[in-house]
Amino acid sequence: MKISTLATTVALLGCASAAQAANIEFWYGNTGNVEVAIKAQCDAFNASQSEHKVNCVGQGSYEVSMQKAIAAYRAKNHPVLIQFFDAGTLDLMLSGAVEPVQDLMPEVKWDSYIAGARAYYETSKGKLFAQPYNSSTLLFYTNKTELEKAGISETPTSWEGIIEAARKLKAAGHACPFVTDGDTWRVLEQFSARHGLPIATKHNGYDGLDAEYVINSTFAAKHLANLVEWRKEGLVRLAADTKAGNYTAAFNAGECAMMEQSSGSYAAAAKAFDGKYELTVGMAPMYKDYTRHNTFVGGASIYVMKGHDKPEIEAAKAFLDFLRKPEQQMSFTAATGYVPVTTDVLDVIAKSDVANSPKYATAKVGVESMNQPATADTRGIRLGFYVQFREVFMEETQKAFAGQQTMQVALDNTKKRGDQLLRRFEQTYKGKQLP
Amino acid sequence: MSSESSLFSHRWLPALLLAPLLLLIVLFFYVPVFQAFYWSFFLEQPFGGGSEFVGLQNFQRVLSDAEFWAATGRTVIFMLTASALAVVVPLMLAIAADRKIGMSYPARNILVWPKGIAGASIGVVFAFIFNPFVGLMGPLNALFPGLWNPGIDGTDAFITLVAAHVWSGIPFNFVILLAGLRSIPPTMYQAAAMDGAGPWRRIFDVQLPLIMPQLFLTFVLEFTESITSVFALIDTITGGGPGGSTTLLVYKIYVDGFRGFDLSGASTQTAILMVFVLLLAACQFYFLGRRINYER
Repeated sequence: MKISTLATTVALLGCASAAQAANIEFWYGNTGNVEVAIKAQCDAFNASQSEHKVNCVGQGSYEVSMQKAIAAYRAKNHPVLIQFFDAGTLDLMLSGAVEPVQDLMPEVKWDSYIAGARAYYETSKGKLFAQPYNSSTLLFYTNKTELEKAGISETPTSWEGIIEAARKLKAAGHACPFVTDGDTWRVLEQFSARHGLPIATKHNGYDGLDAEYVINSTFAAKHLANLVEWRKEGLVRLAADTKAGNYTAAFNAGECAMMEQSSGSYAAAAKAFDGKYELTVGMAPMYKDYTRHNTFVGGASIYVMKGHDKPEIEAAKAFLDFLRKPEQQMSFTAATGYVPVTTDVLDVIAKSDVANSPKYATAKVGVESMNQPATADTRGIRLGFYVQFREVFMEETQKAFAGQQTMQVALDNTKKRGDQLLRRFEQTYKGKQLP
Repeated sequence: MSSESSLFSHRWLPALLLAPLLLLIVLFFYVPVFQAFYWSFFLEQPFGGGSEFVGLQNFQRVLSDAEFWAATGRTVIFMLTASALAVVVPLMLAIAADRKIGMSYPARNILVWPKGIAGASIGVVFAFIFNPFVGLMGPLNALFPGLWNPGIDGTDAFITLVAAHVWSGIPFNFVILLAGLRSIPPTMYQAAAMDGAGPWRRIFDVQLPLIMPQLFLTFVLEFTESITSVFALIDTITGGGPGGSTTLLVYKIYVDGFRGFDLSGASTQTAILMVFVLLLAACQFYFLGRRINYER
């Protein structure tokens, strides 16, 4: 009798938990070693408990992932969790398709996220919309071996220092002292942020949809014009000037001696350099006359999409909780070079015996960079059709690098075309308020 | 006509046989076309949160946008250069293959093979062939630094694109033109030769006039093909750059719609492009098609 009662109870409990369990999908856009690390986290989550199961689906790139999410949402066939990249933040905030994580999980200590990482993904009033996931920021990489060969013993930290070093490298016969791809995120956004320069009025759009671009009149315009001159002088190379055709590959292969790149590519660079060259990584360079401010958080964050039932949301919460765990963030950092962005994880790393291990090299310097003094212009970018703006910026500045127009004309055109995008975005979302 | 319809005894059978194909065409062509035209009158939010009817405002904006006209201009230049070459080069090959010169039999075979290669794969291969350091131009670049770099120079990128398109167009046009040449009765050449016409004279006065229907077909198809099928090549070789120099209209639509989430702008441009292609084909049929004599 007792046994049968027990069996019934167990069976009932089993049913109850089965009803709550859910299979959910998580879409991400990364490839390469980052994808391997994401898959490992999914497997670890599924192995750690039996209640929920997350199915992680790679979409090939951030853009493709977002395209598919839009189509899937319209067809009401969208995943519960999706990773979106920084530039899509405003589109998502106004889409009405996502549930802010802070509303969904008010009990979580969201304050533990460092300010630099929070600001990009929170509303103007400070509510976090998405859980930061693979966070990166811009760092400065050098090939110390090549620098020393040219007689440069101290790693430069300022643009003036970089150019001096580049001249020495060139004099020593180096074909590619500094390499960049001229990408918007690297040469405009992160540059403006750490030099405390606005990208658009209304504090980069945080104070309203009626912002206007100012990139053609800030010091960023001067820096971009300098890049053109330095390229003519043979100090700076673009991706297309390199044999590798890709600037990260050119640096990793030893073809180029210095680059500005995301912390997310540290693992690949360290692996490529292993045994051949010595790698240094530091905060992105400043012009000497400017005070250093924080760099933006880059990479991507995870959003919870609307339109799912309770068990699925529970599963999503469990997975997000799992990803926030210090040991998960640490293993992800070690595998990729992405930066942990919660203070508890940073404390754990600092107290551990591996604090100075190279695998956490980017964590320390990346967080330091994002933790520099902030202004209202360095919170993030809240501008509409921003992905399109990035395309416009690349198109116009490439023309300047090719000598078809001056950099000032390129930036004037970019501002003009960018403002048109902002006005159309404003009209598309007429009547909606910035959250 | 009556003899054809008597092929099927049942009245509904032809309709039933056609239905699956028609359904596919409606689903994957007419519905999206309708949607594009519909969206071009609205400002549509990507996630479907709402849309606002704006009448002709999208068209006004697109038609007054310098970038749109620049992309259209590039499309027309590409259409003229790439499709002319994509017909002329196979025409020369077909005439050569038809003359029974050495190796013309294996050549007839081999020249058809590229037909089996997807545009994207061709793009990857050509990006490599025209790579400034390791490609064909590598040695020239070593002698004259900066002579060739499709990653920096827009003209170089455009030339790469045209070359890849012409190459990918060879098999189909070659087959059509060769078939046309083969169908000319040999007695015509013999008569021309008897009258003292040299090889060039026979090409221009006998062969070309007689394969006009095939030439016309290849030109019509090439003109429309070059506008749309170039997408795969752009996406794999240049990505529209450098500096937008290879952003043809079909690629701009993709970038605006799928990378920039501007559904209304992309739809408007799609509608305009569609009308343009239809007008182009109509003009060709009206002005050229009527002059072609299909009788032999």
